[in-house]
This record gives sequence, C-alpha cells and structure tokens, in this order.
Amino acid sequence: MMASDSPLEIGSAFPRQDAVAKVLGREKFAADYYDQNPLWAGVKRAGIPHGRLKAIHTEAALTVPGVVCVLTHRDIRGSNRQGVVRKDQPVLVDSKVRHCGDPVALVVAETKEALERALRRIALDIKVLPAVSDILEALDAKSPRIHEDHENGNLLLHGTLEKGRVEQAFQECAHRVEAWFHLPWQEHAYLETEAGWAVLQKDGEVTLVASTQTPFRDRAEVADALGLDLHKVRIVAPFCGGAFGGKDGITVQSLLALAAIHCPGRAVKMWWDREESFIAGAKRHRAMIYYRAGATASGVLHALEAKLYYDTGAYDHLGGVVMALGLEHAGGPYRIPHSRIQAFSVYTNNPVSGAFRGFGVPQVNGALEQIMDMLAEAAGQAPVAFRRRHAVRRGDINAIGVTVQGSTGIQACLDTLVESASWKAMKAFKAREIPFKRRGVGIACVMHGMGYGPVVPDVAHAKIELQTSGQFCVFCGVVDMGQGNAATCLQIAGHILNQDMPRMALVLPDTQKTLPCGSSSASRTTYTYGNALIAAACALKKRILQYAGELWMVPDEKEVLLVPGAVRHLPSGREMALADLAKGLNPSERVATARFRAPVSREMPVKDPALRLHGIPHVIFSYGVHAAGVEVDTLTGQVQVKKYMAVSDCGRILNPQLIRQQIEGAIAQGIGYALQEAVIVERGVMKTKDFSTYILPCALDVPEMETAYVELEEDSGPFGMKGAGEVGMDGPLPAIGNAVADAIGARIFHYPLTPERVLAAMDPNEKTGQKG
Amino acid sequence: MNRVHLPRSLEGAWEILDRVPEARVYAGGTDLFVKLQGEARSRAVLVCLERIRELRGIRDAGKHVWIGACTPYTEILSDPSVQEHFPVLSDAIRKLGSPLIRNMGTMGGNICTASPAGDTLPPLYILEATLEIRSHSNTRRIPVQDFILGPGQARLEPGEILSGIEIQKGHPYPVHFYEKVGQRQALAIAVVSLAVMMRLSEAGDIEAIRMAFGSVAPTVVRPLPIETQLAGAPLDEKTLREAGAMLQAHLFPIDDIRASARYRRRVSANILQRLRLRGKASMKDSHRFGP
Repeated sequence: MMASDSPLEIGSAFPRQDAVAKVLGREKFAADYYDQNPLWAGVKRAGIPHGRLKAIHTEAALTVPGVVCVLTHRDIRGSNRQGVVRKDQPVLVDSKVRHCGDPVALVVAETKEALERALRRIALDIKVLPAVSDILEALDAKSPRIHEDHENGNLLLHGTLEKGRVEQAFQECAHRVEAWFHLPWQEHAYLETEAGWAVLQKDGEVTLVASTQTPFRDRAEVADALGLDLHKVRIVAPFCGGAFGGKDGITVQSLLALAAIHCPGRAVKMWWDREESFIAGAKRHRAMIYYRAGATASGVLHALEAKLYYDTGAYDHLGGVVMALGLEHAGGPYRIPHSRIQAFSVYTNNPVSGAFRGFGVPQVNGALEQIMDMLAEAAGQAPVAFRRRHAVRRGDINAIGVTVQGSTGIQACLDTLVESASWKAMKAFKAREIPFKRRGVGIACVMHGMGYGPVVPDVAHAKIELQTSGQFCVFCGVVDMGQGNAATCLQIAGHILNQDMPRMALVLPDTQKTLPCGSSSASRTTYTYGNALIAAACALKKRILQYAGELWMVPDEKEVLLVPGAVRHLPSGREMALADLAKGLNPSERVATARFRAPVSREMPVKDPALRLHGIPHVIFSYGVHAAGVEVDTLTGQVQVKKYMAVSDCGRILNPQLIRQQIEGAIAQGIGYALQEAVIVERGVMKTKDFSTYILPCALDVPEMETAYVELEEDSGPFGMKGAGEVGMDGPLPAIGNAVADAIGARIFHYPLTPERVLAAMDPNEKTGQKG
Repeated sequence: MNRVHLPRSLEGAWEILDRVPEARVYAGGTDLFVKLQGEARSRAVLVCLERIRELRGIRDAGKHVWIGACTPYTEILSDPSVQEHFPVLSDAIRKLGSPLIRNMGTMGGNICTASPAGDTLPPLYILEATLEIRSHSNTRRIPVQDFILGPGQARLEPGEILSGIEIQKGHPYPVHFYEKVGQRQALAIAVVSLAVMMRLSEAGDIEAIRMAFGSVAPTVVRPLPIETQLAGAPLDEKTLREAGAMLQAHLFPIDDIRASARYRRRVSANILQRLRLRGKASMKDSHRFGP
C-alpha cells in the first residue's frame, strides 16, 4: 500500500480519498443538509395501479397548520413530462394514473409532521381502470392501453437481431436444448434513499442538490418539464450513498424544483423513506426469457434463438435502452454462426423499472449461461471445456454479427480460472460428502459493453486547475455514486503531475462549476472522464513546465520536472514551489480543459435506427468468468454459497483496492439476486414494502470471495483500463444456478432460488412450476 | 412524536402505569418501534422498562435460574448458568437477529410480542419456563405456554408487566438441539424453528424427548403425543419420518410472503432427521468423556 504522502501512481493499491470522511460521518450526502431550517416537501401518490384522474381535493390539506402550499399539475408551466428517451412520465399526474407510485399532488410544509398530516388529508378522485400486470397479457391487443398516445400499444420497444439461417441451422444440430427463465425485479436498496433539497435564489436561479447519477441530464429534464430556463437551473451532485443505476434518471429533482419556485428564498427538502423508495423507485426489470440452443454432432455451438421480454412498468424510464443492451448481449462472448434474438420491452401497471447495474444483461446472461451448461451437458462436454472451445477472440465475428475488437480476455479468464488453486479447491469442496447436504460447482462467463453505443455521444469534458495554493483541483463532472471514480480521478491527475494526495483537490459535479460529462453509468465513468482528464492534465503539465523553463531561461522544458509541490530544474537542482509558480500565471492559464468522446463501432449489424439510438452495437467489452461452489440442504432447500471466484478482464488496473471492491460488491449483489431478493408485486401492488420482507444478503450469506484479473491492455482506455462497474453483476446468478443444478441434479427456472423452490426441485414427486 | 417514560425503578413504573394504563410498555424496542412505524404515526405513550434494575440480571437460585425480563440477550448469552443448563436457549439466542439486535432486545420482549416466530419461545416451551408477572399490588406466576394466547396476544392485564423468567435446572435431557430455518443466515424471521431436548440410551435410542416448533401455528407447537410416542424408539430415519408424519396433525401453518404453509409442514418434518446427527455427536462426546 502507498503512503498518503507518496506521489500517486497508477497501479498502486491505496484507500480511496473519500473513505475517511465517509467512515467518520463527515461527508455530506444530499440527504444530510439541514442548515437552512428547510421546508419539507412530499407527494401524495396514487395508490392504485391504473386509473383516470378526475379530481384532486386539496382543501382539507391546506387547512393543516404549517402547510405552505399544495401543488398539482395545474401549477406546472412546462411539459410536465420526464424521460430519457421517451418523455412519457409526468412530474405530477395530469390525466392518467399508471402505477401505484405515481405522484399526484405535492405538499410543502414547515415540518415533517405537518407534511404527513396534510398528505393524509388529500383526497383523490380516480376512475379505476383494469390493471395490466402480466407481460404477455399486456401485449394482447385486447389489453387496456397504458399510454394511449403510444402507437405500438403496450409494446414500448421491440428489436430483432438475426444472423445466418437459424431454422435450417437448428435442423443441422444433433443436440438441442430449450427453456424459459423467469427473473424477478430487484430493488437497488441503497443506504441513502432518494433525497435532495432545492432553493430559489434571489436572481431567479433554482439551486438543486440531489442524490443523482446524472446532473447535466437532470438539468435539461427539470428545465423542460417545469418550463424553466436551462441556465436558471443548477444541479449539484454530492457523493451518492449508493445508486447502482437507481438514480440514473429523475427521482426527487423536478418535484423539488417545483416546490422551490413556489416558496422563494426557502430551502425545501425531500427525502423518501424506505417504503416510498420501494413503491416509487425504479427496479431492475423483471424478465421472461426463452432460449433455444443447438450444437452439431461434434459438439460445436451452431445455433441460438432467444426471446427476451422485459417488464418496464408504467414508463419507459430507460426500459428501451435496457432491452437493447440485453438484446446485444444475448449471444454472450461466443462464436455462434446462426442466431435470432428478439427482445420486447413492455409497458405494464407495475412499478417502474429502469437502470440497475448490469442494465438488462444480468437477466439474459442468467439464462444464456445456464443454456450453455445445458447444451454442454447434452453434447457430453464439461462446462469449462465447452466455453473455452467457443469463446471469442479478437477479430472473430460474435454471436450477433459484430467484429470483436479491443482487448478480449475471455479466453485468458477461462485459462486463469482452470489453472488457479481455487478451482482445484472447488473440486475438492464438491467431492466432500456431508450428511443432509449436496454440493455443486458452477461457472458462468460474462461480458459487458461499455458506454452509450454508436449514436448517443459518449462524451466527457475534464477540467483541472493549478490553484494559487499550489494544489491541483480536478473538476469532476461525473458523479461518484460510491464506486470510487473520484479517487481514481485524483490518482490519474496525480500520477501525471507527480503529486501526492494532499496536493490534490476535488470539485464534485455541479452544473455551474464542472463541465458536462454525461452520466455515471454504463461502465463508462472512469473510462470516458479519465481519458478527458489525461488530456487536460497533460496540457496543464506542459504549460507549467514551459512556463518554468521560460522563467528560468532554459533551452527547453525537458530540463524541468514536476515534483510534489514544486518544479525542479534538473541540471541545476533549482526548485520553485507550485504556489509561487501559480502566482505568475493568469487565472485562465492555470486551467486546462479537454474533451473525450468514446470510440464507436463502424459496423452496421442492425439497420433499425431505433436500435442504434438505443445503443447497439458497442465496441469495447469487459469480460470475466465466475465460479461458485454451493451447498444445498436436502432437508430445507436452503442454498449457501461457500466458495466464489471471479476472474475479470477489465483491462489494466489503476487501483487494485477499488476494482476488488467493485467486483466483490457485484458478487454480493448477485448472490442476493440469485438466492434471496425478489420484489413481489401483485396486480400492480407492492407486497415487499421494506427490508423485513425484501431479503438482502447479509455478511453471513456472502462467502470469502477470491478475485483475479487478466490485465490485458485496452488501447483506447485511460492507462489501459476498461469498465469494471457492471461486469461483475452478470455472473453470480448463472454461476450459482449452474452450481445448484450440479448439486441437486435438477435445474430451477424461476428466480430467486428460494429454499421452497429448491426443496420442490429435489422432490421427484413435485414438478409444479419448474418448467415455466 | 411519542411521549416516552424512562422509569428507573418499579415504583416509578407503577406510578406511570397507574396514571396511563393504556401506555405501551417495552424494553429494547426492537419489535415495538418497527410496529409503531406501521401504525400511521401512533401517538401512544411509551414506557421503557430497560433501566429498571429489578427487571434486569440473571440469578442462579439453586433449583432454578431467574432471568430478568429486561436483560439484553447478549448478557444472557454470556451467563455461565444459562450456558451450562440451557444450551438450547443459548443456541436460539445466538441465531436471533444480529449482534446489534441482541444488544438491545430482551427475552421479556420476545415473550410479550408473542409471535409464533419468536426465537426464544420453542426453547422456553420445552424448558417449561415459568413467567413472573407483576403489577403494583400483586405478583403471579404462569407457565409460558399458558401466557401466550396467539399472535401478539398474551395474558397480561392492564397495569401488569412481565418481570422475570424462571427456568428449572436439572432437567434429565442432556442432548439439546435447535434449528432455525430463515430466509438468510442472520437478521431473519424464522420460517420454521425447532427446539429439542432429549436423553439417549447407551445404545443410542431415545429414552425421553421434548420438542417444540415455531412459526407453524398461531402459537408455538409442543406435540406431546409425539414426545410420548418417541420415548423408547430408536433414533433412526424411520422413527423420525413417522414422527414427521404424525406431526402434521399438530401444525396449523399459514401461507405468507416468507413461505407457504406447505413448505412449513414439509420442513418441520424434514428437520427432525437432523436429530440423528445430534444423536451421533452426543454419543461420540460420551465416548470421549465417558469412563
């Protein structure tokens, strides 16, 4: 580990710079602001899944002492619509209620107690419509339409990718397998629920501090929805207390801005409680997935067909984009000559689904990697051998017809796994017999595309300043939601400028102070911003060295070196403190900025402009292979993950501590997804209202995890790195699913693998619900 | 907001309870506070008993051990008398909640909450614990199974509090077993739980046994006919399978978000099989430590 006063170096392991302040409780999250004795804002939610709004009775609420105002859609001057691709979500319901969590009226009050009293006194007159809660039922032409203005009824988006002659190819196969998989909604369950505060300043600017992954996009959405001037909205984004995609999109922002403009000069705070977060926050999409796969007599993977159905809930949110990423990843990191993959994103009256670490891929990979095991078994091959035989290499055409470019470490990951001591230990683990237990081992390959795809510009602008104190300040416009990218920014700049952590400063995203950087999402955060920051830091370094060289009248700046806090003239040993040097520069000379746009694929595997807009294809992928050893209790059906290893290809590693945290965190989240977590919704109504019924894994449910890396160089990445935020999420469910199948000799197609399902699957007399 | 009273003596508590008989009484608050949150901002007056010295501590009184109702679980776990005489209770407490919950929560609270899933209840049923109930003017004793009437219902009159739990020592059941089936390894509510105490013959047969199941009926189930039936039976697969079948008539489980009634029935029967391991382990122990 590196001491805090050593110059920062790429590749060294060191604790993130935000760790101490967070552990001591000093770091202020969006939920932590109370300074200005804020007003409290809250919303009355519809409480029914589908209906037509007739009237909102606010009179009784207005009589509650301490109530400042009660606002409805009539108080909104803008479009009253939010959304990233399709703007279909109202800030406050104006005509239709589309899910139980839809906000209908906004109350602002002096105290939380008055707010709650007033919210209870609002009466809604809603004509109830039949709720659409089943994915296939929603696609039925006779089903009620959730968005009357959407031309494809309840089908938000559909896409097909086709390659080769799939029907004929299946006839050529000697081995064929097929199955339907059912994947549940998953709750983000961040520690910090949706929160923020806003104030209307004297100059007419709305300052909004929010727990968000997308400050610049929020600014545009809030301005449009409320009819405000873009430059009169300022969004400040502190560290998030967790986000995982759930804050990729508007939560409290527009509501807070609306409240603030009706309460000039007063800070207004909104903070959803856990129950509200369950009802109104976005989820990982529930999915139904069909796969069919075939291999030739010699065991070569020959044909693949898939149908992916995602339940996006009441609004697009990012449902179309999530579907497209699933579609693109449905063939996995394999060479498959013939494939046809169809995907459907479907509106229902269920809670809204949106971005969640993995973004549509954990669902498809959960199914695909089990189909691969099923096919390998049918063809008489071991799971690892089958995957090594078909895993893509650079230059291959992948399963959806896209050339594999960039660093491609899936083969290297598989090699690393089978050569590891852990893999041998897993075999020994399985061989040991224990009364009333069955043990199994499973693996899963993963791949994950980075960035926004070919059309939406994946751009970041970096800014760095030499301050008169001699410190370098990085203006980071991309949010750190907990993954540690802010620390990595300082590391990148510190490495280039040869400075230690105390000489680095950081400005977190603020639409007024930092430059637009896009979202903290899509495994692109450090990749895109890091590349921009390298250019900015190098430009500033050059300027400093040139200036010092000119000041010292030396032949060229190569004789000058940056050292911590100073510049040094190498031939003479003379030094000048950076604080002194900075005083000789104009403010604009002390600042460097740079822009980076991520590379895009030049191939056209799909002509459909909608699919291209929604992100297909990507050009850079991270890879990995996960292995799980599980123990199943034959008396109770309980599954415990006892061993876990993940080998990842995320390019070169900048800080080994941070990537380990990313991969381990994803594994823990994936264990929950595989075994315990399920948002339960019945006819649009939330049944898992809090953490007493929504079961997250705890420390005892997560085993020691071993992580290993194949550090291939990604030429386009900052210092050779690729995204690491999501790829770890795609592996646990299928690795555990395969391990459980290995243990009990039966496969379960409904997730999570609750003890009840596992016990039933072990019972030869019970076949209900297992075939889907 | 709720008004909270924090009496430091029983006298102080009686004074408040006489004045506000409808006050809600609690100790650690680990159940009550969760419940209050669901009750649309209840304004109930709360009386916290955890600071009352007379309600805390563990006393080995020779023939029995007295555990103050407001003694936190962590303290009970570390008590040598409890460890020595009631391992089944220690086991259950070790699997209750989390270290934080065990620092706050109390056995008195677990009993008065009267949930069929209460982790300490199956052990207390088979240990045939007696509860000490006090009011301003009276003290009475009642067996735990007579005290609990149904989910959330206990035989506690206004003005009465549970002050202590008495457990007789010297039960002739050296082998203790506890299993909790929950949705995760900690911080879980029991889907099924089983507490057993038994005595085995030298041949490994069951000489005598007591058992109680949690979360499978409105109250903890102690199937006495099965206990009688098992006395003298070999501790083998067949015996326990038959016991599991007989057991079904005693169970009245519900379907809820955690598990189906069907699952609870099957698992209640299944986990009896685990007693064979416990039996084997105890035989090994007796060989190791025997003459």
